[in-house]
Amino acid sequence: MNCCEFREKYSDFADGLLTSGEHAEASGHLAACAACRRFEAALNAGLNALRSLPRLGVSHGFGARLRHRLRGELAVRVPVVARWSSAVGTLLLVAAVGYIRWDLRESHEMQREQMARSASGWHPAPLPLAANAPFPVPSASHVRVVRASFEPFHPLNSILLVAQSAPIAMGGPQRLDLPAVWGGP
Amino acid sequence: MTLAVRDGVRILGHAPTTPFAGLEDAQVVQAFLDGHERAFDELVSRYQTRLLNFIYRTVGDRERAEDLVQEVFIRIYRHLHRFDQTKKFSTWAYTIASNLAKNELRNRSRNPLVLFQTIKRHWEADHRPLQFEDSSSRPDDLFRKRHLRELVEQSVSQLPEHHRVVFVLRELEGKTYEEIAEITGCNLGTVKSRLNRARNNFAAIISPHLD
Repeated sequence: MNCCEFREKYSDFADGLLTSGEHAEASGHLAACAACRRFEAALNAGLNALRSLPRLGVSHGFGARLRHRLRGELAVRVPVVARWSSAVGTLLLVAAVGYIRWDLRESHEMQREQMARSASGWHPAPLPLAANAPFPVPSASHVRVVRASFEPFHPLNSILLVAQSAPIAMGGPQRLDLPAVWGGP
Repeated sequence: MTLAVRDGVRILGHAPTTPFAGLEDAQVVQAFLDGHERAFDELVSRYQTRLLNFIYRTVGDRERAEDLVQEVFIRIYRHLHRFDQTKKFSTWAYTIASNLAKNELRNRSRNPLVLFQTIKRHWEADHRPLQFEDSSSRPDDLFRKRHLRELVEQSVSQLPEHHRVVFVLRELEGKTYEEIAEITGCNLGTVKSRLNRARNNFAAIISPHLD
């Protein structure tokens, strides 16, 4: 082993990471080479001096400054639950707005159809009655909720009428199936 | 004022002790995540000195090192909920510190004059920390010791940045090769190679000045 090879392997030699054969070879070179012994002595003296340097401590106001900065961090941190709640709330709001718009469009379409039929002189056939009913309540299989076509067009009225009609129509509010129920022209 | 000795390191300054002092790092982290804010004080108390010395030896500026240590703790506070608790907290803290130190050096390298002035300023006697001299030593021995200390500080700062980080982590912070690899994001072979070069360079710098 020459000096270059010894210096290349020196870290592993110093940290005990060489194989026993390599370690023996490096030890043999060290014993025989004054230059490498001076190198090792200089390194160890330097490391001892370095490790004896006083360790720095943090300055007096370090803790207070850090706490002040962390308070600022806490102020901008939105709690995870609140973040998720607001996200879910936003999604529900978007879904609600989307439903209302769809509902409005459908109601508007139905009103236009009814008005067109009224204008052409077409009148709906009477509602079929359920057999043995105590009062003329339409069967749920034939008649469903009728949306008001004479009320002023207002989205809230549409929702309210659906809600009010739900107990009457069995199975809840459903769309009026015009071609099946009403007699066509 | 020495508050405690942990891992052979004196904890200086005025950090208060906390109820979590006897717990392992992983337990303290869990306590913080469970809502005990004071557990974070314990983490600060444990690591402020170590990180300060590591960053100081890497960047060479004491004031800036302290700012960077604060930044380390801010980042830890921000991201602790995402920390993989199967890993060592110590390694994670040092990784953040190492990255901040490297960024600092990178920013400074764009202005070499700032770097030179910063290092030079902190070598003036009145900026160095107080040292209690050994009154039993001869004056020329004391002079040689002080000279050697200045020399070794200078030698470390002269090492190339990527060698210096590995050298400080190994020789001063006592990290294993595996920990250094994780902290620096290098493989084991690279760590060994850099450490070997750092040791060789360090010895070469100080050797002419020794008897």
